[in-house]
This record gives sequence, C-alpha cells and structure tokens, in this order.
Amino acid sequence: MSIAQSILDIAIAAAGKEGALRITRVNVVAGQLRGIVPLQFTFYFGLLAENTIAGGAYLNLEITPIRGRCRQCEETFTVEEYRYICPKCRGEDIQTVGGTELRLKDIEVE
Amino acid sequence: MKISVMADILEANDRIAAANKEVFGKHRNLVINLMSSPGAGKTTLLERTGEAVRGKLRLGVIAGDIETTRDSERLERYQLPVVQLTTGTACHLDANMIASALPHLDLSRIDILVIENVGNLVCPAEFRVGEDFKVMILSVTEGDEKPLKYPLMFRESALLLINKVDLLEHTNFNLEEARANAQRVNPALEMMDVSCTTGRGIEAWISWLNQRYQRKFGNLKRA
Repeated sequence: MSIAQSILDIAIAAAGKEGALRITRVNVVAGQLRGIVPLQFTFYFGLLAENTIAGGAYLNLEITPIRGRCRQCEETFTVEEYRYICPKCRGEDIQTVGGTELRLKDIEVE
Repeated sequence: MKISVMADILEANDRIAAANKEVFGKHRNLVINLMSSPGAGKTTLLERTGEAVRGKLRLGVIAGDIETTRDSERLERYQLPVVQLTTGTACHLDANMIASALPHLDLSRIDILVIENVGNLVCPAEFRVGEDFKVMILSVTEGDEKPLKYPLMFRESALLLINKVDLLEHTNFNLEEARANAQRVNPALEMMDVSCTTGRGIEAWISWLNQRYQRKFGNLKRA
C-alpha cells in the first residue's frame, strides 16, 4: 500500500511541475519478484487517488519477468517458475538481472 | 499529454537506508533485518538469543509493531536495549522509521542490532533499512510452499531459520519440500532448523551471528 502511495506522490509531483490539471493514466513497471498483485494494487491506488488530481486515473501495470545471468557462461535468460538454472550450461550460480524493478515510467495528463 | 517520469519508486527509501548503513558501520554494528509472518517466533527467537549471548556480545533491538508495545515489554525483561516503533497502519518498517529510532539507542554499546520487522511476508522484503543481512523465520505451522508464494523475501534473505521443528510430527509440513522450495527461489540461501521452545539450533544461529560479525569487523569490540 505504501508503494501505491509513493507512486501517487511521484505522479502528482511530476504533473504539478508541468502544470497539468488532471492525471488520466499512470504507467508503472514492476518486476515479477516484487510480488505485486495487480487487482489489489490498482484497488489501493484508486482508493488513495480519490480527491486528488489523479482521481479516476487508470493505473497500468506492466509486470516484467525475472531475468537471470549465468556467472559461468554469461548466458542471459528468463527465469521461469523460480528455476535458477542456466538453460545453456546447467550452471546454478545465477545473478538476478531483471524482475526486481519498480518504476513509475510515465503519466498521461490533461 | 504524456510526461516521462522514469522514477525509481523505492529510491528515496534506499537513500535513507544507505545513510543508516553508514551510521551502523561507524559504530561497528552488525545489523540484521529479521522478517517472518506474524507468530512465526521473531520475539521468542530474540528472547532466546538475548539469554544465549548475555555477557558475550551486546544485542540491541528495534521492534516494529502495528499497534502494541508488547514485544518490547517482553524483551526488556532480558535487559536488552529496545526501541519500539509502532507503525500505525504500515505493514513494514522503512528506512526513515529506523532513522527516527537511532537517537534512542546507544549504538556504541551494541555489537549486533536486530531490527524485528512487522510480521508480514510481503512488504518488509521491499524496503531496505540499512541492514547487513536479511534473516527470515518460517515456522512449520505455516506451510512448506511459502517460498514459492512469497519469493522476494526468500530471495532477499541470507539465512532462513525453520522454527518450531519440535512440532513437526503434529503438522503436515514437509521439511525436505520446504528446503527444496526455498533453495529453488534462492540457491545461496543458508538454512537452519531451530526450536525456540527446546533450544535446538540456537547455538548454530548464535555462531552464525558471531561469524558474520567477525567477517565484517574482526574481533568483538569488547573481548
């Protein structure tokens, strides 16, 4: 819930800087490892946004997959079902290189 | 009109966490962010830890709770320096809350500072507070599939304590399955079986803390 609040705060600040009157859409990128449940998240966001310039704004959540990089053969791949095993060399020393991001990409305003 | 923002949502928190970490480093504090579900045994583990390390290393605690101060009352019986943070509606501790607790602790008299997070398997894993390590407890009354349901916390943790192993025979918790699931999410995760009731595994946990302290700072401040 506090993540929804942070997104709202950043969005309102960015809109204010441009002199926008209303935020209509908020585009967020969240890695799969963040474990964000979209339905719950958009519900919270909607609740918090009421009576702000983002009231009624559409929150678009783009969930990005977990990406791993094998430290042995340097292969980069998508980690499915939390199987941290390199598909090329079967190595198990995998560095997470994607799937933990949490970013407010852009907003659409009027 | 579209406005590009590209803001990292957790950046403000991470900046404060880095500042906390610097303060802890200056005072030679090893800092553990202790996380679990409600009722997994965080406070009881700290009670056992407080007993076991008395006179050997100095433990301090920052305890987060949504409403009550019960945890700190329990811990004060062990003469530990404790700061209680009541988080109100927040389901986790963040770096700023920890920063606000620091003036209430004499960090120069603490070797190991444990931050007892709010009982919750989701949000606490999102927020760095300036810790050296995240440690989590999973109790056998919860379920062996938890690592797959809450991967981030297991992924972020350095050590997993599987607690209440004295109750294993009364549950359908499969220890092998739990370990395999946890390892799948985080192959580097260390694991220990403990029982805060019987004391099993407590010694191993204390020596883990000792090793981590020595690896970071060399010998204890007070030999």
